[in-house]
Amino acid sequence: MAEGGGRGDAGDKARDEFLSEAQELVDGLGRDLLTLDEGLKAGRVDPELINDVFRGVHTLKGLSGLFGATRMAGLSHELEDVLDDLRLGRIDVTPTVLDLLFQAVSLYARLLTAQSSDAPEPEREVEQLLLAVGQLSQRRGGGGGGVVAQYELDPGLLGVLTEYEEHRLRANIQQGLALFRIRARFSLATIDSSLDELKAQARPLGEIVTYLPTGSGANVDTIELEILMASRASLSALQAAIVGPDISIEDVARRIGPSARPAHAAPVAGAASAGASFAGPGMVAPSATPRHASGPARPSQEPTAGAKTPSIAVTPNPPAAASLRGPAPNRELSLRSASQTVRVDIRKLDRLMTVVGELAIVKTAIAKLTDRVRRRGAEPRELSIELGRLNRTFERHLAQMQSGILEVRMVPLGQAFDKLARIVRQISREHDKDVNLVVTGADTELDKLIVEELSDPLMHMIRNAIDHGIEARDERLSVGKPPIGTIALNAFQKGNHVVIEVEDDGRGMDHGALVAAAVRRGIVSPEEAQELTESEMLALVFMPGFTTKEVATDLSGRGVGLDVAKTNISKLGGVVDITSDVGIGTKMTITLPITLAIIHVLLVEIGAHLFAVPLASVEEAIVLDEGKVRTVESRDVLTVRGTSLPICRLARLFGLPASHRDGHGPFVVIARVGARRLGFVVDELVGQQDIVIKPLGKSLKGVRGFAGATELGDQRIALVIDVAALIEEVLLPGEVRFLAAAEDSGRRNGTLEASRRAGRT
Amino acid sequence: MPTLKGRTERRAARRAGETGKRVEYLAFGLAGETYAVQIAHVAEILRPPPFTLVPRASETVLGVISVRGKLVTVIDLRRRFRLPPAAIDRKSRILLADAGTGEQIGLLVDDVQQVWRLASEEIEPANVLGGEQAPHIAGIGRPTASDGAMLILLELRPVLESP
Repeated sequence: MAEGGGRGDAGDKARDEFLSEAQELVDGLGRDLLTLDEGLKAGRVDPELINDVFRGVHTLKGLSGLFGATRMAGLSHELEDVLDDLRLGRIDVTPTVLDLLFQAVSLYARLLTAQSSDAPEPEREVEQLLLAVGQLSQRRGGGGGGVVAQYELDPGLLGVLTEYEEHRLRANIQQGLALFRIRARFSLATIDSSLDELKAQARPLGEIVTYLPTGSGANVDTIELEILMASRASLSALQAAIVGPDISIEDVARRIGPSARPAHAAPVAGAASAGASFAGPGMVAPSATPRHASGPARPSQEPTAGAKTPSIAVTPNPPAAASLRGPAPNRELSLRSASQTVRVDIRKLDRLMTVVGELAIVKTAIAKLTDRVRRRGAEPRELSIELGRLNRTFERHLAQMQSGILEVRMVPLGQAFDKLARIVRQISREHDKDVNLVVTGADTELDKLIVEELSDPLMHMIRNAIDHGIEARDERLSVGKPPIGTIALNAFQKGNHVVIEVEDDGRGMDHGALVAAAVRRGIVSPEEAQELTESEMLALVFMPGFTTKEVATDLSGRGVGLDVAKTNISKLGGVVDITSDVGIGTKMTITLPITLAIIHVLLVEIGAHLFAVPLASVEEAIVLDEGKVRTVESRDVLTVRGTSLPICRLARLFGLPASHRDGHGPFVVIARVGARRLGFVVDELVGQQDIVIKPLGKSLKGVRGFAGATELGDQRIALVIDVAALIEEVLLPGEVRFLAAAEDSGRRNGTLEASRRAGRT
Repeated sequence: MPTLKGRTERRAARRAGETGKRVEYLAFGLAGETYAVQIAHVAEILRPPPFTLVPRASETVLGVISVRGKLVTVIDLRRRFRLPPAAIDRKSRILLADAGTGEQIGLLVDDVQQVWRLASEEIEPANVLGGEQAPHIAGIGRPTASDGAMLILLELRPVLESP
């Protein structure tokens, strides 16, 4: 730390900003590449997209250079060259090239992780990628140079075109677009806005290749520009669309001559030829990409997928023909805009939340004061009315503020789904399986924190689905399934929860095989295995160390993944349920609370201490009739309206003395998360309240069963019970036993110590 | 005259120390001993508010308190150092400590005494106590300005990282 004097808070802050900005750029690259990939499959390439990727990489290069991330800067530099070649048409956009670019995106992500966490940089992978990229640039070839000559263009004009403009000119001619010359005179004072206006008018009809001052017809105040535009529209259509006092449009005449019209550049309009002709001769080179031989089959598959799903995150573009009308198709449909508008530092939001919490405390205090004043009698009546009114107003404003802030925290799940689409593409290509990811409900909103934390668990589930679920092509055909597997990612809101389903149409899970594998790995004993219910058998896949594969693949089979996914989801207060039918497929269902911030709770008393139970998972509360409690396999069970309900005595679990008063007995708070129900026995029901939940400090992260704590307005704090975690702990003791062994063993004595300690507090 | 000589020496040491680097320590009492932590690591000194018990937490954790809307875990330093327990009284204080672990933690102490500015020659290494010392003992402070005061200097990180 001696020489690190300059890297204080300011340095850290700058680095944080670098990381977040770079991360955003990398995410953007991934999105653009996916759109590009989808377009390529449909046979078209959007030059603007390539430009976006080029600009993104260029910015990354600058950023990383600035912050001394040399490996990242080096990678960006090489990529920039390739992308430049791509946008100038010196090399063609092929699936192989895209593979490299996708690889680069994931390497960027790893490099960023290395920057922020001292993890080792993926040195070798970067070297390999650079090598592949280098070979790529050597293979560059020119694309159809001669086509420009067929037009009557001023050699002077051609001479000043930039390489990019020249390439665009060529590409447009090859796509069969006609060229037009627009002469427009602008007033020098307003040229900026007028030119933008003209561009906006021209945009829907075609592409402006270049514009140059003519040097003629100009006086002191005006300037005449010659604008070269490529369009599929007729001259009269252009004249109708682009209007202005000093604008004239004319055709650029075509030269008639045998040499000037190469056969392949016949101006054929139509989707089929557009993709091939854009990138010039030799673009469709199957020999270079043997694995993508299945590619041509895909476009025909897409319309069906598109028809099924109202919102597809990964294929935001309309069908091929539509996009030919303009250079910039509806890319805005992608999720990008949404993610860019929520650039708020989560720490700032947390501070805001704290303020709201304080306000809530004041509110409670005012309510209490009002109550007290009112009870004292009629004398301070006016005061009480006034206070009551104050309280109502305050409450209303508070509610507005709360919902406003919650809204800021909410982001569409599409942010996480975007990354998954990339993963699906990568894994299915590596694995030589054709997988179609069908996304619905990408616009479902969840707390930003949850969305961020969700990407990894979802990734593990999708990997698992591709590796273990989806069968190889031949196997699928032999059982009469379509050769392309489908993974459906569905999200929807259900009451106070958001449900996310990951469903595949693969081979399903064989209960017997799962149990056999679990016994083989020593996760359950053969005796325990006998007693498992069907759903418990399926839940085995979430056990640490579980795998059915004898040999680990790159993708999965190492026995890590699903257990991590499950743990992470539990931390967010969610649960995972799993259903599977052999031969038909597997469905994992994640149920999550919408927000972690403000929740409605039931306050209960256990052993003279206050606790809060989130009402979202409470079904009802009933008085406990001890006479009706039965013991089944050392577990207390209550019969409620004909169904059995396991109960858990929280005082005992927490090591607190039970303290219920005479007159009314203890209560059972019936909680449900997902498909599981459990009754919590508490001493007293205190009331309901809206609370701002705050995390317990890192020092208490080993303590299970609490989601956080909240202030109650009279300086008291109540711990918020993590219903999902407790249900799991109580109902699945085997699992917790396993987890407990892995964690700090001292913690397990906590229950006993808590009672000893109670004296002092 | 030994006292005169001692005083001159002390004054000289102080002067030398003032030109050198001095570190400020906050001294507090714990079961009859005086401990001290670098004051740079103490954000605030609080009178103990009511605690909220955290069931199943480690035994050194007294509970959580709210400090201006933030939850803070409070550790009982007596329990942490396996000293005999004592009731919280008027003089008890909570030191809000942050030693770069990314979390502020409250440390319950018997009382807060004063701030000492110690030069490096006023600090003896922990091994003067002989043999292996607990990792949280950074050394022994012997301020020359006092008569025979002995401060047990604490390294906060080990204390905070494994409550």
